[in-house]
Amino acid sequence: MKSNSQIIARVTGLLYPFIILIGFYIIINGHVSPGGGFQGGAVLASAFISRYLVIPEESIRIKYMQTLEKVLFFCIILIPTLFLFSSTGNDSAMANTIYLVVMNLLIGLKVSSGLTIIFYRFVFYEGGE
Amino acid sequence: MVEKVFLILMVLLAMLSLNTPKLRRAVIYLGILSLASSFIYLLYGAPDVAIAEAIIGSAISTVLYLVALKKYHVFTIYYTNANYNQITDSQITRGRAQVLRDVEKFFAEREMEPQIIYTTHDYRFVLENRNFDLLIHQDFDEVYFYGNKEDYQVDAFEEHVQKEPYDPLRSKFIRHEAGGGK
Repeated sequence: MKSNSQIIARVTGLLYPFIILIGFYIIINGHVSPGGGFQGGAVLASAFISRYLVIPEESIRIKYMQTLEKVLFFCIILIPTLFLFSSTGNDSAMANTIYLVVMNLLIGLKVSSGLTIIFYRFVFYEGGE
Repeated sequence: MVEKVFLILMVLLAMLSLNTPKLRRAVIYLGILSLASSFIYLLYGAPDVAIAEAIIGSAISTVLYLVALKKYHVFTIYYTNANYNQITDSQITRGRAQVLRDVEKFFAEREMEPQIIYTTHDYRFVLENRNFDLLIHQDFDEVYFYGNKEDYQVDAFEEHVQKEPYDPLRSKFIRHEAGGGK
């Protein structure tokens, strides 16, 4: 666990911004092009997971991510409800687009934090004792 | 045409990953397999599924499997001594201090808990009839390590032995075909 390859660490460090960029691209363009919340969230989670290959230490705060996931889940329930009740009359394309982008963003962040929590819990807590 | 090539490639990769002796290699083959299958999805007009398959199949699950393999720590070590009749307790303690403690330390650093079995059987009997990862056979100050050929943890241990041999002992490393174990 202690030894990690220098080559992998450097290359992954170079690739970081691009992974995060493509993740947000997939999420934000989810309603017009292939992809969406789940796929983009998985890309973001793979950025976090490849972080483990660079720095295999327990410096990530899982508790904060759990709180973030709960808040995001609450928002995912809340926003469609509000949208449904508030805009019965107007069905403008602009409002629909904003709604789709916001929902995709929330779902993507929730998926990425969920997968990251699963991975880091498995790595640091399960079966190590 | 391209899709047929990739479909055949998928079958080949699945067979390879089933037949390869090392688990790590099988994991890598599975990663390539899911990459090929995501390309097939793309050709069949499902880019959504292709993205999900490429990320989850070849990135996340591969890393997860590799970490799980690193944590896999059922590791059996047999210890035999050719002269167990003649030696005294103090010699056992000293011999243990020299070889087994070092072996234990080596595997503890890799987060594995070795299961060490002392046996009075002859080492040839153990070689043929037991299923083991590492067999340590000691003949006064000659030590033989019999490593399982298919185990990648034994590779690391062999390197370690060759890098810093035990000074008073003459050690020798032998790779052994996976035992005829039960």
